Amino acid sequence: MSLRTEGLTKAFGGVLAVNGATVELRDGAVNGLIGPNGSGKTTFFNIVTGLVRPDSGRVLYRDRDITRHAPHRIAHAGIGRTFQLCRIFPRLTVLENMLVAVRRTRLRELLAGLRDKGEVERARHWLRRMGIEHLEDAEARDLSYGQQKLLELAAVLMAEPDLVLLDEPAGGVNPALIDRIAALVRELNAEGRTFLVVEHNMDMVMGMCDHVIVFDRGAPIAAGPPALIRQDPRVLEAYLGV
Amino acid sequence: MHTVSRVLPLLLAALAIAYPWAVPNYYLVYAGALTVMYAAMSTSWNLLGGFTGYVSLGHSAFFGLGAYGTGLLVVRLGVPWAVALLVSALLVTVFAVGVGIAAVRVRGASFVIVSLALVSMMNLVVQGWRSLTGGSTGLQVPSPFPGLHRGQTHIVFFYLFLALLALALLSWWYVSRSRFGAGLRAIREDEDKAESLGVPTAAYKVAAFALSALFVALAGGLYALWFGSLDPIFVFSILIASFMVLMSLLGGVRHLYGPLLGALIVAPAGEYFLIALGETQIHLTATGLVLVLVVLFMPDGILARFTRRRAGPSIPDESAGQRLQGVTR
Repeated sequence: MSLRTEGLTKAFGGVLAVNGATVELRDGAVNGLIGPNGSGKTTFFNIVTGLVRPDSGRVLYRDRDITRHAPHRIAHAGIGRTFQLCRIFPRLTVLENMLVAVRRTRLRELLAGLRDKGEVERARHWLRRMGIEHLEDAEARDLSYGQQKLLELAAVLMAEPDLVLLDEPAGGVNPALIDRIAALVRELNAEGRTFLVVEHNMDMVMGMCDHVIVFDRGAPIAAGPPALIRQDPRVLEAYLGV
Repeated sequence: MHTVSRVLPLLLAALAIAYPWAVPNYYLVYAGALTVMYAAMSTSWNLLGGFTGYVSLGHSAFFGLGAYGTGLLVVRLGVPWAVALLVSALLVTVFAVGVGIAAVRVRGASFVIVSLALVSMMNLVVQGWRSLTGGSTGLQVPSPFPGLHRGQTHIVFFYLFLALLALALLSWWYVSRSRFGAGLRAIREDEDKAESLGVPTAAYKVAAFALSALFVALAGGLYALWFGSLDPIFVFSILIASFMVLMSLLGGVRHLYGPLLGALIVAPAGEYFLIALGETQIHLTATGLVLVLVVLFMPDGILARFTRRRAGPSIPDESAGQRLQGVTR
Protein backbone atom coordinates (compact mmCIF):
# COMPACT_ATOMS: atom_id res chain seq x y z
CA MET A 1 0.00 0.00 0.00
CA SER A 2 1.55 3.31 -1.06
CA LEU A 3 -0.38 5.75 1.13
CA ARG A 4 -2.62 5.16 4.10
CA THR A 5 -3.89 7.62 6.68
CA GLU A 6 -5.32 6.65 10.03
CA GLY A 7 -7.70 8.88 11.95
CA LEU A 8 -6.29 12.17 10.71
CA THR A 9 -7.80 15.14 12.50
CA LYS A 10 -7.08 18.82 12.08
CA ALA A 11 -8.99 21.77 13.49
CA PHE A 12 -8.43 25.45 12.68
CA GLY A 13 -9.85 27.29 15.66
CA GLY A 14 -13.38 25.97 16.03
CA VAL A 15 -13.54 24.55 12.50
CA LEU A 16 -12.84 20.85 12.17
CA ALA A 17 -11.30 20.71 8.70
CA VAL A 18 -10.31 17.03 8.76
CA ASN A 19 -12.22 14.78 11.10
CA GLY A 20 -10.69 11.38 11.74
CA ALA A 21 -9.93 10.66 8.08
CA THR A 22 -8.86 7.08 7.42
CA VAL A 23 -8.00 6.70 3.75
CA GLU A 24 -6.27 4.06 1.67
CA LEU A 25 -5.11 4.76 -1.84
CA ARG A 26 -5.13 2.13 -4.52
CA ASP A 27 -1.53 1.52 -5.48
CA GLY A 28 -0.68 2.15 -9.13
CA ALA A 29 -4.07 3.73 -9.80
CA VAL A 30 -5.42 7.18 -10.50
CA ASN A 31 -7.31 7.95 -7.31
CA GLY A 32 -9.81 10.78 -7.26
CA LEU A 33 -10.68 12.77 -4.16
CA ILE A 34 -13.94 14.65 -4.43
CA GLY A 35 -16.26 16.44 -2.08
CA PRO A 36 -18.12 19.69 -1.61
CA ASN A 37 -16.21 22.90 -0.96
CA GLY A 38 -14.89 22.98 2.59
CA SER A 39 -14.98 19.21 2.97
CA GLY A 40 -11.28 19.11 3.92
CA LYS A 41 -9.68 17.86 0.71
CA THR A 42 -6.94 20.47 0.48
CA THR A 43 -6.22 20.29 4.22
CA PHE A 44 -5.91 16.53 3.78
CA PHE A 45 -3.40 17.15 0.97
CA ASN A 46 -1.49 19.62 3.13
CA ILE A 47 -1.26 17.15 5.99
CA VAL A 48 -0.07 14.33 3.74
CA THR A 49 2.64 16.54 2.24
CA GLY A 50 3.75 17.97 5.59
CA LEU A 51 2.65 21.57 5.12
CA VAL A 52 0.11 21.25 7.91
CA ARG A 53 0.59 19.18 11.06
CA PRO A 54 -2.40 17.11 12.13
CA ASP A 55 -3.78 17.33 15.65
CA SER A 56 -3.94 13.55 15.73
CA GLY A 57 -3.71 10.54 13.45
CA ARG A 58 -0.99 9.10 11.23
CA VAL A 59 0.17 9.23 7.64
CA LEU A 60 1.86 6.06 6.43
CA TYR A 61 3.70 5.87 3.13
CA ARG A 62 5.00 2.46 2.10
CA ASP A 63 4.37 1.43 5.71
CA ARG A 64 6.61 4.21 7.03
CA ASP A 65 5.17 6.79 9.40
CA ILE A 66 5.78 10.19 7.78
CA THR A 67 3.26 12.12 9.88
CA ARG A 68 5.52 14.83 11.21
CA HIS A 69 8.21 14.81 8.57
CA ALA A 70 9.22 18.12 6.98
CA PRO A 71 7.76 18.63 3.49
CA HIS A 72 11.14 18.22 1.79
CA ARG A 73 11.63 14.83 3.47
CA ILE A 74 8.21 13.75 2.29
CA ALA A 75 9.19 14.85 -1.22
CA HIS A 76 12.40 12.81 -0.93
CA ALA A 77 10.29 9.83 0.17
CA GLY A 78 8.59 9.99 -3.23
CA ILE A 79 5.49 12.16 -2.84
CA GLY A 80 5.09 15.16 -5.13
CA ARG A 81 2.26 17.64 -5.32
CA THR A 82 0.79 20.56 -7.19
CA PHE A 83 -1.27 23.34 -5.59
CA GLN A 84 -4.85 24.47 -5.94
CA LEU A 85 -3.75 27.84 -7.29
CA CYS A 86 -0.90 27.13 -9.67
CA ARG A 87 2.41 27.83 -7.91
CA ILE A 88 5.57 28.26 -9.92
CA PHE A 89 8.61 30.43 -9.31
CA PRO A 90 7.59 33.43 -11.42
CA ARG A 91 10.96 35.15 -11.73
CA LEU A 92 12.99 32.06 -12.45
CA THR A 93 13.26 30.79 -15.99
CA VAL A 94 11.32 27.71 -17.00
CA LEU A 95 14.52 25.64 -16.94
CA GLU A 96 15.49 26.99 -13.50
CA ASN A 97 12.02 26.12 -12.24
CA MET A 98 12.73 22.57 -13.34
CA LEU A 99 16.14 22.45 -11.67
CA VAL A 100 14.89 23.53 -8.25
CA ALA A 101 13.56 20.06 -7.49
CA VAL A 102 15.90 18.09 -5.24
CA ARG A 103 15.68 14.33 -5.03
CA ARG A 104 18.21 13.99 -2.25
CA THR A 105 20.45 16.37 -0.36
CA ARG A 106 24.01 15.71 -1.48
CA LEU A 107 26.53 18.51 -1.37
CA ARG A 108 28.11 17.57 -4.67
CA GLU A 109 24.76 17.71 -6.44
CA LEU A 110 23.78 20.97 -4.80
CA LEU A 111 27.00 22.67 -5.87
CA ALA A 112 26.73 21.27 -9.37
CA GLY A 113 26.18 23.92 -12.01
CA LEU A 114 22.72 24.67 -13.32
CA ARG A 115 23.97 23.53 -16.69
CA ASP A 116 24.76 20.02 -15.45
CA LYS A 117 24.15 18.07 -18.65
CA GLY A 118 22.32 15.08 -17.20
CA GLU A 119 19.90 17.15 -15.16
CA VAL A 120 19.27 19.65 -17.95
CA GLU A 121 18.53 16.78 -20.32
CA ARG A 122 16.09 15.31 -17.80
CA ALA A 123 14.42 18.72 -17.43
CA ARG A 124 14.11 19.06 -21.20
CA HIS A 125 12.61 15.59 -21.39
CA TRP A 126 9.75 16.63 -19.09
CA LEU A 127 9.32 19.99 -20.78
CA ARG A 128 9.07 18.19 -24.12
CA ARG A 129 6.41 15.87 -22.75
CA MET A 130 4.44 18.88 -21.59
CA GLY A 131 4.95 20.59 -24.96
CA ILE A 132 6.66 23.65 -23.53
CA GLU A 133 10.29 22.89 -24.30
CA HIS A 134 10.58 25.98 -26.51
CA LEU A 135 10.02 28.15 -23.44
CA GLU A 136 12.96 26.94 -21.35
CA ASP A 137 14.70 30.33 -21.26
CA ALA A 138 11.54 32.34 -20.65
CA GLU A 139 10.74 33.69 -17.22
CA ALA A 140 7.91 31.61 -15.79
CA ARG A 141 5.79 34.71 -15.12
CA ASP A 142 5.61 35.35 -18.86
CA LEU A 143 3.91 32.02 -19.54
CA SER A 144 0.15 31.73 -20.02
CA TYR A 145 -1.77 30.21 -17.11
CA GLY A 146 -2.16 26.92 -18.95
CA GLN A 147 1.57 26.76 -19.65
CA GLN A 148 2.25 27.52 -15.99
CA LYS A 149 0.04 24.60 -15.00
CA LEU A 150 2.06 22.32 -17.26
CA LEU A 151 5.32 23.72 -15.89
CA GLU A 152 4.17 23.08 -12.34
CA LEU A 153 3.44 19.47 -13.18
CA ALA A 154 6.74 19.08 -15.04
CA ALA A 155 8.69 20.49 -12.06
CA VAL A 156 6.98 18.02 -9.73
CA LEU A 157 7.92 15.16 -12.05
CA MET A 158 11.58 16.27 -12.00
CA ALA A 159 11.71 15.07 -8.39
CA GLU A 160 10.69 11.60 -9.66
CA PRO A 161 7.78 11.00 -7.30
CA ASP A 162 6.04 7.64 -7.14
CA LEU A 163 2.89 9.25 -5.81
CA VAL A 164 1.66 12.51 -7.34
CA LEU A 165 -0.99 14.63 -5.63
CA LEU A 166 -2.76 17.03 -7.98
CA ASP A 167 -4.90 19.72 -6.40
CA GLU A 168 -7.55 20.82 -8.89
CA PRO A 169 -5.52 20.38 -12.09
CA ALA A 170 -8.49 21.55 -14.17
CA GLY A 171 -9.05 24.71 -12.15
CA GLY A 172 -9.04 27.84 -14.31
CA VAL A 173 -7.92 26.17 -17.54
CA ASN A 174 -9.63 25.72 -20.90
CA PRO A 175 -11.36 22.48 -21.92
CA ALA A 176 -8.62 21.56 -24.39
CA LEU A 177 -5.99 21.73 -21.66
CA ILE A 178 -8.19 19.74 -19.28
CA ASP A 179 -8.22 16.92 -21.86
CA ARG A 180 -4.47 17.26 -22.29
CA ILE A 181 -3.83 17.08 -18.55
CA ALA A 182 -6.14 14.07 -18.18
CA ALA A 183 -4.29 12.32 -21.01
CA LEU A 184 -0.94 13.13 -19.40
CA VAL A 185 -2.09 11.74 -16.06
CA ARG A 186 -3.16 8.52 -17.74
CA GLU A 187 0.18 8.29 -19.58
CA LEU A 188 2.17 8.90 -16.41
CA ASN A 189 0.02 6.42 -14.52
CA ALA A 190 0.65 3.80 -17.19
CA GLU A 191 4.36 4.29 -16.50
CA GLY A 192 3.84 3.26 -12.88
CA ARG A 193 2.99 6.41 -10.93
CA THR A 194 0.12 6.51 -8.49
CA PHE A 195 -2.05 9.63 -8.52
CA LEU A 196 -4.37 11.28 -6.05
CA VAL A 197 -6.38 14.00 -7.76
CA VAL A 198 -8.61 16.54 -6.04
CA GLU A 199 -11.00 17.88 -8.64
CA HIS A 200 -14.43 19.48 -8.97
CA ASN A 201 -14.76 18.73 -12.67
CA MET A 202 -16.79 15.53 -12.46
CA ASP A 203 -16.39 14.66 -16.13
CA MET A 204 -12.63 14.70 -15.68
CA VAL A 205 -12.75 12.71 -12.45
CA MET A 206 -15.12 10.07 -13.75
CA GLY A 207 -13.25 9.73 -17.03
CA MET A 208 -9.74 9.68 -15.62
CA CYS A 209 -9.89 7.97 -12.21
CA ASP A 210 -9.89 4.27 -11.40
CA HIS A 211 -10.93 4.80 -7.82
CA VAL A 212 -12.78 7.67 -6.22
CA ILE A 213 -12.86 8.71 -2.56
CA VAL A 214 -15.59 11.10 -1.46
CA PHE A 215 -15.03 13.50 1.42
CA ASP A 216 -17.70 15.25 3.42
CA ARG A 217 -17.14 17.27 6.59
CA GLY A 218 -13.52 16.22 6.84
CA ALA A 219 -13.85 12.48 6.45
CA PRO A 220 -14.42 9.92 3.68
CA ILE A 221 -18.04 8.88 3.25
CA ALA A 222 -17.61 6.61 0.25
CA ALA A 223 -14.91 5.02 -1.90
CA GLY A 224 -14.99 2.88 -5.01
CA PRO A 225 -15.03 2.82 -8.80
CA PRO A 226 -16.46 5.94 -10.49
CA ALA A 227 -19.54 4.14 -11.80
CA LEU A 228 -20.59 3.13 -8.28
CA ILE A 229 -19.69 6.45 -6.71
CA ARG A 230 -21.87 8.28 -9.23
CA GLN A 231 -24.92 6.45 -7.89
CA ASP A 232 -24.06 6.32 -4.22
CA PRO A 233 -26.91 7.97 -2.24
CA ARG A 234 -24.49 9.32 0.39
CA VAL A 235 -22.55 11.09 -2.34
CA LEU A 236 -25.69 12.51 -3.91
CA GLU A 237 -26.80 13.76 -0.51
CA ALA A 238 -23.43 15.38 0.24
CA TYR A 239 -23.31 17.09 -3.13
CA LEU A 240 -26.94 17.85 -3.85
CA GLY A 241 -28.58 17.61 -0.45
CA VAL A 242 -31.06 15.01 -1.75
CA MET B 1 25.96 41.03 -24.50
CA HIS B 2 28.32 38.15 -23.68
CA THR B 3 31.32 40.27 -24.68
CA VAL B 4 30.13 43.07 -22.40
CA SER B 5 29.62 40.69 -19.49
CA ARG B 6 33.12 39.31 -19.96
CA VAL B 7 34.93 42.58 -20.55
CA LEU B 8 33.10 44.61 -17.89
CA PRO B 9 34.55 42.75 -14.86
CA LEU B 10 38.06 43.04 -16.28
CA LEU B 11 37.57 46.74 -16.96
CA LEU B 12 36.19 47.33 -13.48
CA ALA B 13 39.03 45.35 -11.92
CA ALA B 14 41.64 47.35 -13.87
CA LEU B 15 40.04 50.63 -12.84
CA ALA B 16 39.86 49.54 -9.22
CA ILE B 17 43.49 48.41 -9.14
CA ALA B 18 44.63 51.69 -10.66
CA TYR B 19 42.40 53.85 -8.41
CA PRO B 20 44.78 54.52 -5.47
CA TRP B 21 47.50 55.66 -7.87
CA ALA B 22 45.17 57.72 -10.03
CA VAL B 23 43.62 59.90 -7.33
CA PRO B 24 45.39 63.08 -6.20
CA ASN B 25 45.35 62.59 -2.40
CA TYR B 26 45.15 60.04 0.38
CA TYR B 27 41.71 61.20 1.48
CA LEU B 28 40.28 59.89 -1.79
CA VAL B 29 42.14 56.63 -1.23
CA TYR B 30 40.50 56.46 2.21
CA ALA B 31 37.07 57.20 0.69
CA GLY B 32 37.74 54.56 -1.96
CA ALA B 33 38.68 51.95 0.65
CA LEU B 34 35.50 52.76 2.59
CA THR B 35 33.44 52.38 -0.58
CA VAL B 36 35.04 49.06 -1.46
CA MET B 37 34.49 47.87 2.14
CA TYR B 38 30.79 48.66 1.86
CA ALA B 39 30.66 47.08 -1.61
CA ALA B 40 32.15 43.87 -0.19
CA MET B 41 29.74 43.90 2.75
CA SER B 42 26.63 44.60 0.69
CA THR B 43 27.61 41.92 -1.83
CA SER B 44 28.01 39.54 1.13
CA TRP B 45 24.66 40.64 2.57
CA ASN B 46 23.17 39.94 -0.82
CA LEU B 47 24.18 36.28 -0.54
CA LEU B 48 21.29 36.04 1.90
CA GLY B 49 19.05 39.00 1.09
CA GLY B 50 19.29 38.80 -2.68
CA PHE B 51 18.92 35.06 -3.06
CA THR B 52 16.36 34.31 -0.36
CA GLY B 53 14.64 37.66 0.14
CA TYR B 54 15.33 37.54 3.89
CA VAL B 55 16.18 41.10 4.97
CA SER B 56 18.71 40.92 7.77
CA LEU B 57 19.69 43.92 9.84
CA GLY B 58 21.64 41.55 12.05
CA HIS B 59 24.65 41.74 9.79
CA SER B 60 25.83 44.70 11.88
CA ALA B 61 26.36 42.13 14.61
CA PHE B 62 28.58 40.00 12.38
CA PHE B 63 30.56 43.09 11.39
CA GLY B 64 31.01 44.08 15.03
CA LEU B 65 31.84 40.55 16.17
CA GLY B 66 34.36 40.16 13.34
CA ALA B 67 35.95 43.46 14.35
CA TYR B 68 36.05 42.72 18.09
CA GLY B 69 37.07 39.08 17.54
CA THR B 70 40.05 40.12 15.44
CA GLY B 71 40.94 42.96 17.80
CA LEU B 72 40.73 40.82 20.93
CA LEU B 73 42.79 37.99 19.42
CA VAL B 74 45.50 40.47 18.47
CA VAL B 75 45.42 42.55 21.67
CA ARG B 76 44.71 39.96 24.36
CA LEU B 77 46.35 36.85 22.89
CA GLY B 78 49.01 38.33 20.63
CA VAL B 79 47.82 36.32 17.64
CA PRO B 80 49.30 37.43 14.27
CA TRP B 81 46.78 39.74 12.57
CA ALA B 82 46.13 37.55 9.52
CA VAL B 83 45.47 34.49 11.71
CA ALA B 84 43.30 36.56 14.03
CA LEU B 85 41.29 37.81 11.06
CA LEU B 86 40.59 34.30 9.76
CA VAL B 87 39.96 32.68 13.16
CA SER B 88 37.62 35.47 14.17
CA ALA B 89 35.66 35.20 10.91
CA LEU B 90 35.36 31.43 11.29
CA LEU B 91 34.13 31.77 14.87
CA VAL B 92 31.56 34.33 13.76
CA THR B 93 30.45 31.95 11.01
CA VAL B 94 29.92 29.15 13.53
CA PHE B 95 28.00 31.61 15.70
CA ALA B 96 25.95 32.62 12.65
CA VAL B 97 25.00 28.96 12.07
CA GLY B 98 23.61 28.82 15.60
CA VAL B 99 21.80 32.13 15.24
CA GLY B 100 20.58 31.17 11.78
CA ILE B 101 19.03 27.92 12.96
CA ALA B 102 16.87 29.94 15.35
CA ALA B 103 16.35 33.04 13.22
CA VAL B 104 15.29 31.55 9.89
CA ARG B 105 12.37 29.77 11.52
CA VAL B 106 10.48 33.03 11.13
CA ARG B 107 9.84 34.97 7.94
CA GLY B 108 9.19 38.51 6.77
CA ALA B 109 8.94 41.26 9.36
CA SER B 110 9.49 38.79 12.20
CA PHE B 111 12.88 37.87 10.77
CA VAL B 112 13.84 41.54 10.55
CA ILE B 113 12.90 42.03 14.22
CA VAL B 114 14.89 38.95 15.28
CA SER B 115 17.92 40.20 13.36
CA LEU B 116 17.57 43.62 14.99
CA ALA B 117 17.44 42.02 18.41
CA LEU B 118 20.70 40.20 17.65
CA VAL B 119 22.50 43.50 17.04
CA SER B 120 21.16 45.04 20.24
CA MET B 121 22.12 41.98 22.27
CA MET B 122 25.66 41.87 20.91
CA ASN B 123 26.04 45.59 21.53
CA LEU B 124 24.96 45.15 25.15
CA VAL B 125 27.21 42.14 25.67
CA VAL B 126 30.30 43.92 24.29
CA GLN B 127 29.58 47.10 26.25
CA GLY B 128 28.82 45.18 29.41
CA TRP B 129 31.85 42.86 29.30
CA ARG B 130 34.20 45.68 30.20
CA SER B 131 37.07 43.50 31.48
CA LEU B 132 37.42 41.80 28.10
CA THR B 133 36.28 44.32 25.51
CA GLY B 134 37.00 47.63 27.19
CA GLY B 135 33.26 48.33 27.39
CA SER B 136 31.96 51.62 26.07
CA THR B 137 35.46 53.13 26.01
CA GLY B 138 36.26 50.80 23.13
CA LEU B 139 39.28 48.77 22.11
CA GLN B 140 42.54 49.98 20.59
CA VAL B 141 44.03 47.60 18.01
CA PRO B 142 47.64 48.14 16.92
CA SER B 143 48.27 48.68 13.22
CA PRO B 144 49.51 45.55 11.45
CA PHE B 145 51.74 47.78 9.35
CA PRO B 146 53.53 50.03 11.86
CA GLY B 147 56.17 51.00 9.30
CA LEU B 148 53.64 52.65 6.99
CA HIS B 149 52.19 56.11 7.43
CA ARG B 150 48.40 56.57 7.51
CA GLY B 151 48.02 57.27 3.79
CA GLN B 152 50.00 54.17 2.82
CA THR B 153 47.87 52.11 5.21
CA HIS B 154 44.78 53.31 3.33
CA ILE B 155 46.31 51.96 0.11
CA VAL B 156 47.04 48.56 1.69
CA PHE B 157 43.53 48.26 3.10
CA PHE B 158 42.02 49.46 -0.16
CA TYR B 159 43.55 46.38 -1.81
CA LEU B 160 42.63 44.06 1.07
CA PHE B 161 39.00 45.16 0.83
CA LEU B 162 39.19 44.84 -2.94
CA ALA B 163 40.35 41.22 -2.56
CA LEU B 164 37.45 40.59 -0.17
CA LEU B 165 35.03 42.16 -2.65
CA ALA B 166 36.40 39.92 -5.42
CA LEU B 167 35.94 36.89 -3.18
CA ALA B 168 32.37 37.90 -2.32
CA LEU B 169 31.51 38.54 -5.97
CA LEU B 170 33.02 35.22 -6.98
CA SER B 171 31.02 33.42 -4.30
CA TRP B 172 27.77 35.11 -5.37
CA TRP B 173 28.47 34.24 -8.99
CA TYR B 174 29.25 30.60 -8.14
CA VAL B 175 26.16 30.22 -5.96
CA SER B 176 23.97 31.85 -8.60
CA ARG B 177 25.04 29.21 -11.12
CA SER B 178 24.49 26.24 -8.82
CA ARG B 179 21.41 24.22 -7.96
CA PHE B 180 21.91 25.46 -4.41
CA GLY B 181 21.45 28.99 -5.79
CA ALA B 182 18.35 27.96 -7.71
CA GLY B 183 16.98 26.57 -4.45
CA LEU B 184 17.73 29.83 -2.63
CA ARG B 185 15.98 31.85 -5.32
CA ALA B 186 13.04 29.46 -5.13
CA ILE B 187 12.84 30.21 -1.39
CA ARG B 188 12.59 33.90 -2.23
CA GLU B 189 9.77 33.21 -4.70
CA ASP B 190 7.73 30.67 -2.75
CA GLU B 191 9.21 28.91 0.25
CA ASP B 192 6.46 26.32 0.78
CA LYS B 193 6.53 25.40 -2.88
CA ALA B 194 10.31 24.96 -2.73
CA GLU B 195 9.92 22.66 0.29
CA SER B 196 7.35 20.57 -1.53
CA LEU B 197 9.87 20.08 -4.35
CA GLY B 198 12.36 18.59 -1.91
CA VAL B 199 14.41 21.70 -1.10
CA PRO B 200 15.52 21.58 2.55
CA THR B 201 14.77 25.27 2.95
CA ALA B 202 15.90 25.64 6.56
CA ALA B 203 19.34 24.16 5.79
CA TYR B 204 19.66 26.29 2.65
CA LYS B 205 18.81 29.49 4.54
CA VAL B 206 21.22 28.72 7.38
CA ALA B 207 23.99 28.00 4.86
CA ALA B 208 23.35 31.29 3.05
CA PHE B 209 23.12 33.15 6.36
CA ALA B 210 26.46 31.73 7.54
CA LEU B 211 28.25 32.29 4.22
CA SER B 212 27.00 35.84 4.18
CA ALA B 213 28.13 36.36 7.79
CA LEU B 214 31.60 35.00 6.99
CA PHE B 215 32.43 37.77 4.51
CA VAL B 216 30.87 40.49 6.66
CA ALA B 217 32.93 39.28 9.64
CA LEU B 218 36.07 39.41 7.48
CA ALA B 219 35.18 43.01 6.58
CA GLY B 220 34.70 43.76 10.28
CA GLY B 221 38.10 42.27 11.09
CA LEU B 222 39.81 44.27 8.37
CA TYR B 223 38.04 47.39 9.60
CA ALA B 224 39.41 46.79 13.12
CA LEU B 225 42.95 46.44 11.78
CA TRP B 226 42.53 49.46 9.53
CA PHE B 227 40.95 51.94 11.93
CA GLY B 228 42.66 50.62 15.05
CA SER B 229 39.97 51.97 17.32
CA LEU B 230 36.74 50.10 17.98
CA ASP B 231 33.71 51.86 19.35
CA PRO B 232 30.89 49.43 20.18
CA ILE B 233 28.25 52.07 19.46
CA PHE B 234 29.53 52.35 15.88
CA VAL B 235 30.50 48.78 15.00
CA PHE B 236 27.24 47.37 16.38
CA SER B 237 25.16 50.14 14.81
CA ILE B 238 22.03 49.25 12.86
CA LEU B 239 23.21 51.84 10.36
CA ILE B 240 25.91 49.55 9.03
CA ALA B 241 23.42 46.85 8.07
CA SER B 242 21.00 49.52 6.84
CA PHE B 243 23.69 50.69 4.41
CA MET B 244 24.14 47.10 3.19
CA VAL B 245 20.39 46.87 2.60
CA LEU B 246 20.17 50.26 0.92
CA MET B 247 23.14 49.63 -1.38
CA SER B 248 21.83 46.22 -2.40
CA LEU B 249 18.29 47.46 -3.03
CA LEU B 250 19.47 50.52 -4.91
CA GLY B 251 21.74 48.60 -7.26
CA GLY B 252 19.48 45.56 -7.54
CA VAL B 253 19.42 42.52 -5.29
CA ARG B 254 18.97 40.10 -8.15
CA HIS B 255 22.18 41.10 -9.86
CA LEU B 256 25.79 40.21 -9.17
CA TYR B 257 26.90 43.82 -9.51
CA GLY B 258 23.80 45.38 -7.93
CA PRO B 259 25.21 45.91 -4.41
CA LEU B 260 28.52 47.08 -5.90
CA LEU B 261 26.71 49.70 -7.95
CA GLY B 262 24.70 50.72 -4.90
CA ALA B 263 27.88 51.08 -2.85
CA LEU B 264 29.51 53.16 -5.58
CA ILE B 265 26.59 55.60 -5.29
CA VAL B 266 25.73 55.59 -1.59
CA ALA B 267 29.17 55.49 0.05
CA PRO B 268 30.68 58.45 -1.86
CA ALA B 269 27.39 60.34 -1.42
CA GLY B 270 27.61 59.75 2.33
CA GLU B 271 31.18 61.05 2.40
CA TYR B 272 30.16 64.07 0.33
CA PHE B 273 27.29 64.91 2.70
CA LEU B 274 29.60 64.51 5.68
CA ILE B 275 32.06 67.00 4.20
CA ALA B 276 29.41 69.39 2.92
CA LEU B 277 27.19 69.33 6.00
CA GLY B 278 29.62 68.36 8.74
CA GLU B 279 29.00 65.85 11.54
CA THR B 280 25.24 66.41 11.54
CA GLN B 281 22.49 63.83 11.30
CA ILE B 282 21.32 65.29 7.97
CA HIS B 283 23.26 62.76 5.92
CA LEU B 284 21.45 60.01 7.79
CA THR B 285 18.13 61.64 7.01
CA ALA B 286 19.15 61.81 3.36
CA THR B 287 20.11 58.11 3.47
CA GLY B 288 16.75 57.20 5.01
CA LEU B 289 14.93 59.22 2.39
CA VAL B 290 16.79 57.48 -0.43
CA LEU B 291 15.93 54.09 1.11
CA VAL B 292 12.23 54.99 1.23
CA LEU B 293 12.27 56.24 -2.37
CA VAL B 294 14.06 53.12 -3.59
CA VAL B 295 11.62 50.78 -1.83
CA LEU B 296 8.62 52.74 -3.15
CA PHE B 297 9.65 53.43 -6.72
CA MET B 298 12.51 51.10 -7.60
CA PRO B 299 12.18 47.97 -5.45
CA ASP B 300 14.15 45.91 -7.96
CA GLY B 301 16.99 48.43 -8.19
CA ILE B 302 18.75 50.29 -10.96
CA LEU B 303 20.16 47.31 -12.83
CA ALA B 304 16.81 45.51 -12.98
CA ARG B 305 15.24 48.62 -14.47
CA PHE B 306 17.74 48.62 -17.31
CA THR B 307 18.04 44.91 -17.97
CA ARG B 308 14.28 44.22 -17.96
CA ARG B 309 13.51 47.22 -20.16
CA ARG B 310 16.15 46.18 -22.66
CA ALA B 311 15.12 42.55 -22.69
CA GLY B 312 11.35 43.12 -22.58
CA PRO B 313 9.12 40.12 -21.98
CA SER B 314 11.18 36.97 -22.03
CA ILE B 315 9.13 35.38 -24.85
CA PRO B 316 9.35 38.13 -27.44
CA ASP B 317 9.11 36.00 -30.57
CA GLU B 318 6.63 33.35 -29.53
CA SER B 319 3.93 32.89 -32.11
CA ALA B 320 0.29 32.40 -31.19
CA GLY B 321 0.65 28.78 -32.25
CA GLN B 322 3.65 28.23 -29.98
CA ARG B 323 1.88 29.97 -27.12
CA LEU B 324 -0.88 27.39 -27.35
CA GLN B 325 1.57 24.53 -27.78
CA GLY B 326 1.10 21.98 -25.06
CA VAL B 327 -2.30 23.41 -24.33
CA THR B 328 -4.26 22.38 -27.38
CA ARG B 329 -2.48 19.42 -28.88
